[in-house]
Amino acid sequence: MSPESLTPAELLQQRNRRTGLTIFQISWILVFVCLVIVNWQLRGNHPSWPPPGVKAPSALLPGLATLGLLASAWLARAATRSLAAGSRAAFRGQWRAALALGALFVLVIAYEWLSIPVSGIYSDVFRMMTAFHLLHALAIGLFMSMIARGVRAGRVSAQNLWPAEGATGLWYFVVVAWLLFFPVLYLI
Amino acid sequence: MATITATPGLGSRTTEGAAIRAADLLRWSLDHKVIGLQYMASSLFFFIVGGTMAMLIRWELLTPALDLMADGTQYNALMTIHGSVMIFLWIIPMMAGFGNYLVPLMLGAKDMAFPWLNAFAFWLIPPAGVLMIAGWLVGPPEAGWTSYPPLSTLFSPDGQTMWAMSLHLLGVSSILGAINFVVTIRNMRPAGMTIWKMPLFVWAVLATAIIQVLATPFLTGGLTLLILDRTAGTSFFDPGSGGDVLLWQNVFWFYSHPAVYIMILPGFGMVSEVLAVHARKPVFGYRAIGLSSMSIALVGFTVWAHHMFTSLQPALRIPFMITSMIIAVPTGIKIFSWLGTIWGGKIRFTAAMLFALGFITLFVFGGIGGIFLAAVPVDIHLHDTYFVVGHFHFVLFGGSVFLIFAGIYHWFPKMTGRRMNERLGQLHFVTTYIGTFFTFVPQHIAGALGLPRRVAMYDPAFTNINTVISLAAFLLGISSLIFMYNILRSLSHGERVGGNPWRGLTLEWATTSPPPPWNFRGDPVPFDDPYGYGSDESGPYLDAVERRFPAPEEAAGA
Ligand SMILES: [Cu+2]
Repeated sequence: MSPESLTPAELLQQRNRRTGLTIFQISWILVFVCLVIVNWQLRGNHPSWPPPGVKAPSALLPGLATLGLLASAWLARAATRSLAAGSRAAFRGQWRAALALGALFVLVIAYEWLSIPVSGIYSDVFRMMTAFHLLHALAIGLFMSMIARGVRAGRVSAQNLWPAEGATGLWYFVVVAWLLFFPVLYLI
Repeated sequence: MATITATPGLGSRTTEGAAIRAADLLRWSLDHKVIGLQYMASSLFFFIVGGTMAMLIRWELLTPALDLMADGTQYNALMTIHGSVMIFLWIIPMMAGFGNYLVPLMLGAKDMAFPWLNAFAFWLIPPAGVLMIAGWLVGPPEAGWTSYPPLSTLFSPDGQTMWAMSLHLLGVSSILGAINFVVTIRNMRPAGMTIWKMPLFVWAVLATAIIQVLATPFLTGGLTLLILDRTAGTSFFDPGSGGDVLLWQNVFWFYSHPAVYIMILPGFGMVSEVLAVHARKPVFGYRAIGLSSMSIALVGFTVWAHHMFTSLQPALRIPFMITSMIIAVPTGIKIFSWLGTIWGGKIRFTAAMLFALGFITLFVFGGIGGIFLAAVPVDIHLHDTYFVVGHFHFVLFGGSVFLIFAGIYHWFPKMTGRRMNERLGQLHFVTTYIGTFFTFVPQHIAGALGLPRRVAMYDPAFTNINTVISLAAFLLGISSLIFMYNILRSLSHGERVGGNPWRGLTLEWATTSPPPPWNFRGDPVPFDDPYGYGSDESGPYLDAVERRFPAPEEAAGA
């Protein structure tokens, strides 16, 4: 996948895809920024947040899940590099580990969504934000597992790296979106 | 004939049959020209739909009592869908249509960066249109195009949910389309096409795409909350349960004020092209126009709360008033530059040019109405009156729609190989200009006198002025029919033209009309200055283009 081996048209296509992914990331992350602002405006209407009588959920378990998600993104990056270097075995191990940590994250947040006591606006916002993030994590996680199959079948390889590269970029997106949400939901 | 393969993954297109037939518009196609025409055709369809609703609205308002509607609720539904259709299914996708058709051609590129994504973005529009209109089957939305809660949460039937889903689809379509434009303009410029050689329409599309990418996500966020409040029992907008009714207004206007520029900036780009070509003069202040589009895009993000002067904390009013006034500066630069462009030019009063010139006069008027409304004390008086209705129709119809008309007359020959009928075009212009003026100026007056907007019945003191408005609106309806007739007739009967009937210097004219599947045979070389009209080199260049892409009759030796 060295640049010299690409035709000019393929180079242009690669450049387009990378630019396109970056712009998509910048654009779609703003939906999450919007929801953070929504959270902010809603809490401004209450004397304290959580509102009096509502208990904030513990940050311990989701905090650990956040660390797992970060590790997952790092592993996905390592896996894509392994694939680019032609090492499919290394890719398989790292990609699987990334997927497993991602699945763990999804399970923890789903548990958080289910276990928060219903308390009106506080739990409404909490559930809306976690569910919105979960949907993205799930969809992109599924896409990543399809990439694993693509590598096994030989459709995705060092010669056709873009699907893995793109999926990794989307997984970074899930991480950044969660890093926006986590402090707002659990820390402040 | 030969088959050419361009970008990998795209397959091939035969070079036979450059003309695009009506049936092609109903098919999935990756050709940016087909997609551009698909956007334009579907937009024109929704223009007729929304226009018919406008006619019904004006019929209802002929007299103070209820004429056509059974009750005010029916009227509310009609006006809600009229506004939503005109904004989200007519003007915005129409501009996307021009962008799709023209940007690759103007840059000298073979297609957009992501042809598949391009087609996908278009095909989100028909289902969105169905969702919007089909609201009538389940109880139509009644909360106006702005859909403020609690009207949109507690009082509007299920069609409101479909309205929100429809806008969701259109928002995604708009973001995907905009990503495509930014990547295309950044990466797909051939050697020789530097950014300072890009036509001003491309600059305007770039500025618009940046706004779409940065503003539309907020619409997505707001609509998500609205749908949840309506279907999942949440209370984000319900102050009684800890929510905030102003939350929607903030999020909605953070998108919808920039959306105003999504609707007008591409038109600003088109008018620069039309004025320069038909006045045979270089654009006055090329860089100032390109950069003022960018500054309008930026400042446009800081003004949204001017829609909320009456509900905003008083301390915040003045800052938003100041930013709203500031945006008149880059707009003024443009107007000045357009006047400088036509000053001393050899003006040809074609239909395209008439609409471009008409636009300048109407937009100055409409813009001054905007300054009125940006001033807090005046706005508090005029809020929710017909002055506001008059203002935004003046800038949308006298602005965006006039520019769409100018653009269609100007680029129709490129798209079809045939010119539109100029006589009918002049008739269309005169009726549209008179209709626009006498529909929307009296609305300003009625509003200043206190006529509230969004009502089916009104004080009989306003009868005469409303009758004038309605009659002028019916004239607009007739003028639009003339226009549609002209399009349909010219498709088969229009005078055949060559590649460059207006003698334009930008690259879309340096190929056949309509262009071949990959736009150019060989690599096009941009003329040194895209607006170098009247320069010594431009004459021989244009003659050469004319010899290379002659009109069919001449080719036959007639
Ligand atoms: Cu505004």
